[in-house]
Amino acid sequence: MIKFVDISKIFTVKKQRIDALKHVSLEIRTGNIFGVIGFSGAGKSTLLRMVNALETPTNGHVEIDGKNINKLSFSELRKVRKDIGMIFQQFNLLNSKTVYENIAIPLILNHIDKNEIDRRISRLLKFVELSDKRNAYPAQLSGGQKQRVGIARALATDPSILLCDEATSALDPETTESILHLLRKVNQEFNITILIVTHEINVIQRICDQVAVMERGCIVETGSVLEVFSNPRQQMTRRFIRTVIPDKIPAIIQNKLKNDPRYYRIIKIRFLGNNAQNNILYHVNKNYSAETNILFASVNELQKTVLGIFIVQIIGDDLEIKKITDYISSHQIQWQEVRL
Amino acid sequence: MINLGVPYSQIILAAEQTLYMVFISLAIGTATAIILSVSLMLTNPGGILKNHIVYTVINTGVNIIRSVPFIILMVFILPLTKILVGTRVGTTAALVPLVIFIAPYLTRLFENSILEVNKGIIEAAQAMGASYFEIVWHFILPEARGSLILSVTTGTIGLIGATAMAGAIGAGGVGDLALTYGYERLNFPLMFFTVIVLIVFVQIIQSIGNYFSAKARGY
Ligand SMILES: Nc1ncnc2c1ncn2[C@@H]1O[C@H](COP(=O)(O)OP(=O)(O)OP(=O)(O)O)[C@@H](O)[C@H]1O
Ligand SMILES: [Mg+2]
Repeated sequence: MIKFVDISKIFTVKKQRIDALKHVSLEIRTGNIFGVIGFSGAGKSTLLRMVNALETPTNGHVEIDGKNINKLSFSELRKVRKDIGMIFQQFNLLNSKTVYENIAIPLILNHIDKNEIDRRISRLLKFVELSDKRNAYPAQLSGGQKQRVGIARALATDPSILLCDEATSALDPETTESILHLLRKVNQEFNITILIVTHEINVIQRICDQVAVMERGCIVETGSVLEVFSNPRQQMTRRFIRTVIPDKIPAIIQNKLKNDPRYYRIIKIRFLGNNAQNNILYHVNKNYSAETNILFASVNELQKTVLGIFIVQIIGDDLEIKKITDYISSHQIQWQEVRL
Repeated sequence: MINLGVPYSQIILAAEQTLYMVFISLAIGTATAIILSVSLMLTNPGGILKNHIVYTVINTGVNIIRSVPFIILMVFILPLTKILVGTRVGTTAALVPLVIFIAPYLTRLFENSILEVNKGIIEAAQAMGASYFEIVWHFILPEARGSLILSVTTGTIGLIGATAMAGAIGAGGVGDLALTYGYERLNFPLMFFTVIVLIVFVQIIQSIGNYFSAKARGY
């Protein structure tokens, strides 16, 4: 388990004080894929770099499996770092070395003998599907291939934690997809805890179990991806999630609604997981006289379950509308009123 | 063959002296400069072993020596030369000022080469739990190698120029041959010949440097 305990970080640049992190506390359970999302400058990288003490807190401390890593001597810290792999947005491979030599470096640092290095690298190259690039130089590889080398290098010493700083931000969507798939595989096959920081919400949606949303050095929202995505509380979170899970009435329909002379209310209904609830509208229509009209609907896969969002116009008097919303509530379905 | 006015054996001796001075001082100078430039990189204000005192001492020392013209430096440190090699004159005596001249020069060139190394590489190294020595040895020097080789090439050529002046303390060499025989005795063919030899030297060194630098860069 990785535990951030009341971490603050202050940078002073030219007498100017920057509060990069403000009282951040967070727990990352072993074996999880934990995503941190936020806009540029939110403090994500600073937070991530606390885990291997590339950055040290001004206040607070980081615990890994109960050990306060900010209290370690340099040589003890180096041992901890050897158990933490890290991959970077810009890959940070050595251009003067081949793929093989790049992956060999952490093994050489661990004084592993040549034959064993050879065996491990062959296995790693197979795992990241780059066996044919063994003797290529980074300059001869695509971005996705470079990141695969980065992942192989990070995994070479069998770490128990993998840190990913914007690991897919320099890649196109398709390559991003394949790298995320690979990270998922890393997590499942080796049970490695993965901490990802990103500004791409789809990264969180695709592979994370838990998410924390950061804004100006603070964690403003955190929880399981399912919880946060289905019920985002902060404005910022909603803005992020909306880009992958739209929940807005299309503009054309909004305009039509403005000219609708009838009395109506609009509600947004969310279904999580249980598909059987999707037929709620059928029952509403059967049992109540008010007219319902679907303005928007989307169904998204999330964490191996389904998140459905319906925006429905209910045309009828207040009493009739209340009966319907009470009915929906009585089925433990979340809904909220939408105003144009 | 054309008559150059001096025996061929003397020309060959001069060439040997030049090569001797260049290579010995280059070897010692390069080793020193690697240590100094790495120290500068590590201890500079943004470095991973930030140390104001060490940085300032090396930086100032390099600047001071670099601002003294070689011919003056050579004469100025004669007492030191005497202490180190037991004599003030001759080819071996010239090694002392040559090393003191070339080491700070190479330090500056190497420092630039090393600072060009992507900071991300150093970060990756730290994340792997590398010690400071390992960071330098396995990451920074290999990454800077191509650029370092070009710096050595530039330094070597500068060194050849300096050896010509070493004649002033009786070190001999090709440059001295050109000055004493070619210039003072108005032996134009010899002068012309030594110029050609020096041009060929420099060309060969530059080509070798370019070749190995490209190779070290891995493409
Ligand atoms: N070494 C440093 N020295 C001074 N200020 C820093 C340093 N590192 C980060 N900062 C500042 O701390 C704040 C948070 O930076 P950080 O890199 O953690 O943001 P981020 O969320 O990772 O942003 P991005 O998405 O752009 O990578 C920024 O205001 C940044 O300027
Ligand atoms: Mg960042």
